[in-house]
Amino acid sequence: MTGPDDTYGDKALAAEYVLRLLDPDAHRAFEARLLDEPELRALVLDWEQQLATLAEDIAEETPPAHLRGAVLKTVATDPAAASRRGWFTGLWARVLGGGLLAAVAITLAVVVFDRLEEQGPSYRADLISADQSISLMVRSGETADALQVEVAAGSPPDGRVFELWLIAEDAAGPVSLGVLNASALTSIQVPEALLAGLATGTLAISDEPPGGSPTGSPTGTVLAAGQVQKI
Amino acid sequence: MTRPPGVVTHPEVSRTVRGQGNVAVRELFAVEAHGRIDSPPSHASVGRMTSRDDIEHLIARIALRDQSAFSALYDATSKKLFGICLHVLDHRGEAEEVLQEVYIRIWHKADSYAVTGHSPMTWLITISRNLAIDKLRSRRAAMTTLDAEAVTIADARPGPEASAISRSEHSAMSACLEELDTDRADAVRRAYLDGDTYKDLAHRYDVPLNTIRTWLRRSLMTLRDCLTR
Repeated sequence: MTGPDDTYGDKALAAEYVLRLLDPDAHRAFEARLLDEPELRALVLDWEQQLATLAEDIAEETPPAHLRGAVLKTVATDPAAASRRGWFTGLWARVLGGGLLAAVAITLAVVVFDRLEEQGPSYRADLISADQSISLMVRSGETADALQVEVAAGSPPDGRVFELWLIAEDAAGPVSLGVLNASALTSIQVPEALLAGLATGTLAISDEPPGGSPTGSPTGTVLAAGQVQKI
Repeated sequence: MTRPPGVVTHPEVSRTVRGQGNVAVRELFAVEAHGRIDSPPSHASVGRMTSRDDIEHLIARIALRDQSAFSALYDATSKKLFGICLHVLDHRGEAEEVLQEVYIRIWHKADSYAVTGHSPMTWLITISRNLAIDKLRSRRAAMTTLDAEAVTIADARPGPEASAISRSEHSAMSACLEELDTDRADAVRRAYLDGDTYKDLAHRYDVPLNTIRTWLRRSLMTLRDCLTR
């Protein structure tokens, strides 16, 4: 992109992206940038929010009755149905309940890009707390299942440690991937059995007593979470 | 946060985003991330029936794989989302297909809703609109050899005047579009709601492709200045 169009820079580019006006190459290039540029993501979210108001004026239409049955049936046969309840209740009560929101809510630091091209077996996730005081980067190392976890900012409360959890899309609940070094890189080998769930899963950290959760499920506060991206 | 979401209204957010540049954007980002404050967009038509909090609560329960919440969300929102699919695609069969995809997407992605920082209706509308546009584009790709016909179909849509009649006067976006030349405001609407590409727009307004891009980008920036004013 050259010429006078550059005058408007990323603000206009983000709008073009949201409107789906970019050609396929530019669209992919923009999505690649989104992974690393929170300000760009903020621009996209802002445009999405503003432009969505245009849809307010569109008249409602009742979909045919059979569609409801078809949609509900699809979901009823989802093996993940009614499985995550216990643990997630706590997480979502906090995230959406309002009370502790300012302190621990997950931010929009992670945006899901379903349309990202699959370029190879490598994963990444960014876990950032609502106030951005805690930030972790998770990246595949030499192999896809060898995750490098770096605590880029923040530390667990005194006397607590960070524990990393994988919530696979169709899993019954979060599975611990281990306790993290708060001040250095932690290498985590994802067990082969969990690898399939990693690609579409969510990673989260909670604060736990030293040595990790005694119960096998998170017992502390969920501080940050992020969707795993395949890169 | 003691204040329930939804209490803070437009003017307050406007102050937050006053001014331009990245600093203002960061502030907006921070406000949304922390407070899920209602921002200018207000999806009133759904709000009448089911409040923003109700929908947010349903999405949270869907993240827990709660099927009753899912059917409740379908009942509360499917008319609106089907309306959007139908508007974009102008084809009932395709709109039905896409609506199904929309709800399956909602089912699978409910747990990532919170991280977007969107209001629940913004999130639902964005999913619907994007999937409908995807479908529209794949239909068009399938008929590239019949390009002229694709343009004819686009031309057959109701004109912007028709859609302007019911326009909410309370939407900041609508107010700011009013400040643009009619053609330019229509071009923005057509890109968002009809999935028009630069090529479609260049054809419609009979200007070269490069010109239409400069034209639309300028309109978008004018719009942005207005929205953050």
